[in-house]
Amino acid sequence: MKFDGDVVEVSFRNLKKEGLRTFLTLIGVVIGIASIVSLLSIGNGLTLAVEEQFESLGTNTIFVIPGGGMSIASIKLNQIDLDTIDNTSGVERSIPIYSKSGILEYNQEKVNVSINAVDPKKAEDIFQSTGFMEVTEGRMMEKNDSQGILIGTTLSTDFFKRDLSLKKQVLINGLSFNVVGILKPQGTSFGGAPNMGGSIYMSLEALKRLYSESNLSPSIIFVKTYTADDAKYSADSIKDYFNDKYGEDSVRVSSSEDLLNQIKTILDLLTLFITGVGAISLLVGGIGIMNSMVTSVMERTREIGLMKALGASDDKIKSIFLLESALIGGIGGIIGIIIGYLMSFTIAFIGQSLGYALEASMGIEITIGALIFSMIIGSLSGVVPAINAANLDPVVALRYE
Amino acid sequence: MVKEGVIALRGVSKIYGVGEIEIKALDDIDLSICAGEYVSIMGPSGSGKTTLLDVITTMMKPTKGDVFIEGVNTTKMSNAELAAFRGKKIGFIFQTFNLLPKLTALENVMTPLWINNVPREEREGIAKKLLKEVGLENRMNNRPNQLSGGQKQRVAIARALAMDPKIIVADEPTGNLDSKSGKHVMDILHNLHKIHKVTVIIVTHDESIGKLANRRVLIRDGKIVNSKSDNKLVCQI
Repeated sequence: MKFDGDVVEVSFRNLKKEGLRTFLTLIGVVIGIASIVSLLSIGNGLTLAVEEQFESLGTNTIFVIPGGGMSIASIKLNQIDLDTIDNTSGVERSIPIYSKSGILEYNQEKVNVSINAVDPKKAEDIFQSTGFMEVTEGRMMEKNDSQGILIGTTLSTDFFKRDLSLKKQVLINGLSFNVVGILKPQGTSFGGAPNMGGSIYMSLEALKRLYSESNLSPSIIFVKTYTADDAKYSADSIKDYFNDKYGEDSVRVSSSEDLLNQIKTILDLLTLFITGVGAISLLVGGIGIMNSMVTSVMERTREIGLMKALGASDDKIKSIFLLESALIGGIGGIIGIIIGYLMSFTIAFIGQSLGYALEASMGIEITIGALIFSMIIGSLSGVVPAINAANLDPVVALRYE
Repeated sequence: MVKEGVIALRGVSKIYGVGEIEIKALDDIDLSICAGEYVSIMGPSGSGKTTLLDVITTMMKPTKGDVFIEGVNTTKMSNAELAAFRGKKIGFIFQTFNLLPKLTALENVMTPLWINNVPREEREGIAKKLLKEVGLENRMNNRPNQLSGGQKQRVAIARALAMDPKIIVADEPTGNLDSKSGKHVMDILHNLHKIHKVTVIIVTHDESIGKLANRRVLIRDGKIVNSKSDNKLVCQI
């Protein structure tokens, strides 16, 4: 079918004539495309944010998680295990992170907090170089610092009637501690989000005041290797050691690349699923177009008969109706893309202000893909009505009441 | 010099329905209409005059027989060829006007021009000239619902003339008009025939309209019932 400026003009004019119907039909497409675009954009943004965090941690990292996340029995790693990890070939050092919970009391108000502790000797420079944890006020934890704690801005400003600010004294499980630093708001990370409401950070020394050493076992161990290649081999060695000692899959050992791939697979699946839900609404929008076009062909039967009498070929009639439905798809697509991005940026903005690492990513693939998809849906919806219109008998159509 | 008519029907039959119940709307009709003739087709309702018109205008293919227009056998043409042919050769005027309600008079007259791919820049000029000719130069931007019945039919006449066809076909053109508007419309058609030498074919059951034509073709039960001499097969130039 060759391009015909008149057909475009007439199709546009016909859509304009049926203002309200066109508008309502458009809404169906707009909702479908907007939900697909916003969901894809958020999904992509999430994947990008996760990738970015992994990159900042470095590809020469192995994560050792006792219990493997899924297993029932919790396994307590002891000093021998930690030494074994440290002595594995390729390993530069390991950083165990301890997670406990406790009751924080300030100004006679009590809240439950999760306590994360790390040995500053091992971790100091890592925090600095990766930006994983940064303070906006005060200082990071120091060696042999058994009094200081770090808190997030949320805990600082939102949890108590009076702000819990720097240098204030609090009680944790009845023992006294000082706030030495306020952490920068940041996205979700391993071992808890630094800025998530009820999390505090302290040195291992400080944690030992609250719990006896025999009760402490790391909930996750970051293992730094010399190179990214080492990470793979060392991970295998560490995995073998734990499998032999505690049984298969009792301890999960993943290189950062493994973990990234796993998370990405989950995120991709999730994105695919929610986008599929969005696609269903677009399908409904497509049926809306078809419905509107079928009605339009019926209403314009006499007009079609007249056009045939005046010399319009079946192809011309067909192209007018096809173009009308494709235009609804295309215009709905453009509006839907704009609204979809606005929605995703709004969601991301709200998410970020609540402390989640939500990001909206605007991609040329999403934009063009959504536009093409909406036009295809529009055109497909118009095929049957257009063929019906073209096949009308001119004599019958002209005298249709 | 003797020549085939501008329209020539040869042994044309149209049968509706299949199987045992067949209705012969047209029964073996021979008819010639010469260039520049003014012909009325008359008959009672159900006689087959509308079917005859549909066949003449190539809107409907006959079950049997051939329809020649300007010497071309239209029954052998494809739908697409027929549409293009019809668009250029035949102008239609309907009892119910069939104007597009959301378009202005000017846009209605321009409709056949875009359908038949007349260059954009020529369309408005042609349409304006024709509306002026039918006395509607002050109504060009009015929509059909802002026009009287007679004015609507004049817009339809202007539209029928847009492609400068050799043949104008009018199906009960005054059927929906009062007698004064009807007369005005008939005067315009008469002038067209006289001044532009256009072949005019009018289908009507109104005796007073029918007798305005140079020749009357009477049809009853799908057959032409005029005497053979009236129904000449060749045209003199």
